[in-house]
Amino acid sequence: MTGHDAVFLLVALFTGGAALLTVTSKNLFHAALFLAATLAGIAGVFLVLRADFLALVQLVVYVGAVAVLFLFGLMVTRAPIGREALDGQNRGLALAVSGTLFVVLSGLIIQSFGGVRAAEVTGPGIREIGIAIFAHWVLPFELLSMLLLAALIGAILLARRESGESGEESVERRIDFGDEPSTEAGAQALPAADTAGELPAGEPVAGGER
Amino acid sequence: MAIDWFAIAPEIALTVTALLVLLADLNLRGDAKQLVNPLAAFGTVVAIVFTVLLWGEERTTFGTSFVVNEYAVVFKLLFLGSLLAILGISWRFFAEGRYFQGEYYFLLLTAFIGMLIMPSARDLLLLFVALETVSIPAFVMAGLRKRSLYSSEAALKFFLIGVLSVALMLFGISMVYGFTGTTDLAGIAAAISAAGDPEPLLLASVMLVIVGFGFKISAVPFHFWAPDTYAGAPLPVAAMLAVASKAAGFAGLIAIAFIAFEPLAEVWAPVLGVLAILTMTLGNLVALQQRDLIRLLAYSSVAQAGYMLIPFGLARSGADGAVVNEAAVQAVLFYLVAYAVMNIGAFGVAIAVNRRTGLRSIADYAGLSARSPLLAMALTVFLLSLGGAPPTVGLWAKFAIVQAALTDVTPFGVVLMVFLVFNSVIAFFYYLKVVKTMWMDEARELDVQLQPGFNLSTVVAVLMIGTVVLGVLPGLISGATSLTSLVAAG
Amino acid sequence: MSFEQEYGTVAIFLIVGAALYAVIMLVNRVMRPSVPSPLKLTTYECGVEAVGSGWSQMNIRYYVFAFLFVIFDVEAIFLFPWAVIIGELDATTTPSSLFALIAMFLFIATLLEGLAYAWKKGVLTWD
Repeated sequence: MTGHDAVFLLVALFTGGAALLTVTSKNLFHAALFLAATLAGIAGVFLVLRADFLALVQLVVYVGAVAVLFLFGLMVTRAPIGREALDGQNRGLALAVSGTLFVVLSGLIIQSFGGVRAAEVTGPGIREIGIAIFAHWVLPFELLSMLLLAALIGAILLARRESGESGEESVERRIDFGDEPSTEAGAQALPAADTAGELPAGEPVAGGER
Repeated sequence: MAIDWFAIAPEIALTVTALLVLLADLNLRGDAKQLVNPLAAFGTVVAIVFTVLLWGEERTTFGTSFVVNEYAVVFKLLFLGSLLAILGISWRFFAEGRYFQGEYYFLLLTAFIGMLIMPSARDLLLLFVALETVSIPAFVMAGLRKRSLYSSEAALKFFLIGVLSVALMLFGISMVYGFTGTTDLAGIAAAISAAGDPEPLLLASVMLVIVGFGFKISAVPFHFWAPDTYAGAPLPVAAMLAVASKAAGFAGLIAIAFIAFEPLAEVWAPVLGVLAILTMTLGNLVALQQRDLIRLLAYSSVAQAGYMLIPFGLARSGADGAVVNEAAVQAVLFYLVAYAVMNIGAFGVAIAVNRRTGLRSIADYAGLSARSPLLAMALTVFLLSLGGAPPTVGLWAKFAIVQAALTDVTPFGVVLMVFLVFNSVIAFFYYLKVVKTMWMDEARELDVQLQPGFNLSTVVAVLMIGTVVLGVLPGLISGATSLTSLVAAG
Repeated sequence: MSFEQEYGTVAIFLIVGAALYAVIMLVNRVMRPSVPSPLKLTTYECGVEAVGSGWSQMNIRYYVFAFLFVIFDVEAIFLFPWAVIIGELDATTTPSSLFALIAMFLFIATLLEGLAYAWKKGVLTWD
């Protein structure tokens, strides 16, 4: 076992342990923090494989932005944080499915790629990646800009607070089975909120349409 | 690298339109926001012109990753035609429903940019990015009815199942790259056929990639998001998901299956054939029990995806499979064009009934023939066409699949044909149930009159006429699709 | 320094930092007196009795800013390799300098329109 392997073993134990704690933790906030630790561990895996740019991307984007977004999302939606709050009914089935998938996939991977030594892996440096992007992958690159813009617009759209926009009715009732009220009984079945097409006169639109 | 700019002209046209729509949304106020719809339509027409001009010659650009040939042009025309139809049916719906309009049209156009790239993509990375560009705006659009809890829940289901399948697909793609050392589809096929016996991990990763596309086309068992999402999303968005998004999934699946994994056809063809059988049967059987028209259309779309998967079950690898594969791709293409015409029309009628009244269950369509005979006739034509009755185009669509199976008769092909016929019969039960309700049941009291807007009426009328005309003259489509050759051009 | 030496240094730095914190906290835990009483365990709120739960509704604006950060962070990540190569390109290399420049400018311009959208929709102001 070389030093390289020893380092990988440490990183792998850290990452795997953090991942396990993420899915078994009873406190959602702790789970999000363990997820950040898992993502940081994966950055360590990239470093073991000598992909320093990818490790940087992982840390900056995943740990720095995505994990933070997770935490903010938990806080904004007032996610239930507490021992009894998480729904644990499907744990057995989930464990069976994911365990089977893990065993099968890792068995197949070891069978096919088991002979490759990590110490021999050399990835492209940041310079090669830069040349490759602009020499071969320009079209996906520009398409990504539209994708990012669409994600930005979509997220802002979903997070905006202006009332009076986006959707006709306002269904303010508990979801029993997640079904919309059926209209089999005719128009009476619909909730009494504003379903008519015309704009109700004089309804204040908070913030105004910008 | 020399770039053939004319080859990507349609995509550039749509991109510019999308960005202009966003700018317009920032500057328009109040009711003027509706004007982004005609702006988007104009951009779509420009893109259509460019696409038609691309017919005839094959152009390759961006290395070998982007190919425009007749196959890609037919697909692009399908997408752009669907976009025009969806723009027509969504104008009044979004203007009067007080939705965020500018953003909706921007997201719609962005999704279609991704869709335009998919049939031309010959590289796994480009295909993946295009697929994501189709999916992510769709996630947001499905949740556009922000004030309805049910709608948000439906969008969340769509999103979670979607990202899970995409994650699995990406895992499969990375494994395929690990085996073949390239992301170019033709290069992958060459590497696989040069390698001899495929390793189990390669087969597993092929299955994972199919999972990703299976979600997009709502094949069983990846279809669970479809009924709830179609019911919860705004109806034009449901139409887009049912037709355009599904067609994009098929475009990707064709590229993956018939180009990249073509040497492994003996492995995935039976799997996709079984998937086709399950999808058809489950979709039709569950649709029989639906009492809400939108959910019925959703399960019917699932079943239609099953029909379209049948040609995938007929594929064979190697030189002796070339004829069957060509016929299969052409059958899928024909069915997709016919399906787009029928299904957008059906959703259009549903929008016409739902827009002012909010009604959507089948019982509400009772007596539609008395209240609005044109809408009733249109929906009858569309539903009969979905079932496959003459003289509509649906008959020829199913016939194209049978024809593809007959080019090379195998026992499995015969089994698939039996299931196709059997399921068509089952499907007629629920289509005719709706038709009967419209024409033979008593109308209910309604205080709000149905007033479909001009655009919607035009779109529905054009699609209805198209369904019948193409049913009489199917050569209009097959003349184009028979010229397409996906496999030979590579 | 080789790759292993460089990042080995970073790793040792991280481990020593974490270990320092752990050791300090451990020694603290071992050495401090621990005599809990119900009064001592209540939340300190400047001498006033604490009322209600400790959680309050977070402002959604933080979330929007975090999301904007994700998008522009990804853009910055794409800027890194571009910045490394742009100085070495000229008219004869495979991506010519003009091509790379315009490609990146198109990318930035698209996201700039997103920023303009966010600005005009008022998500960048606090109230």
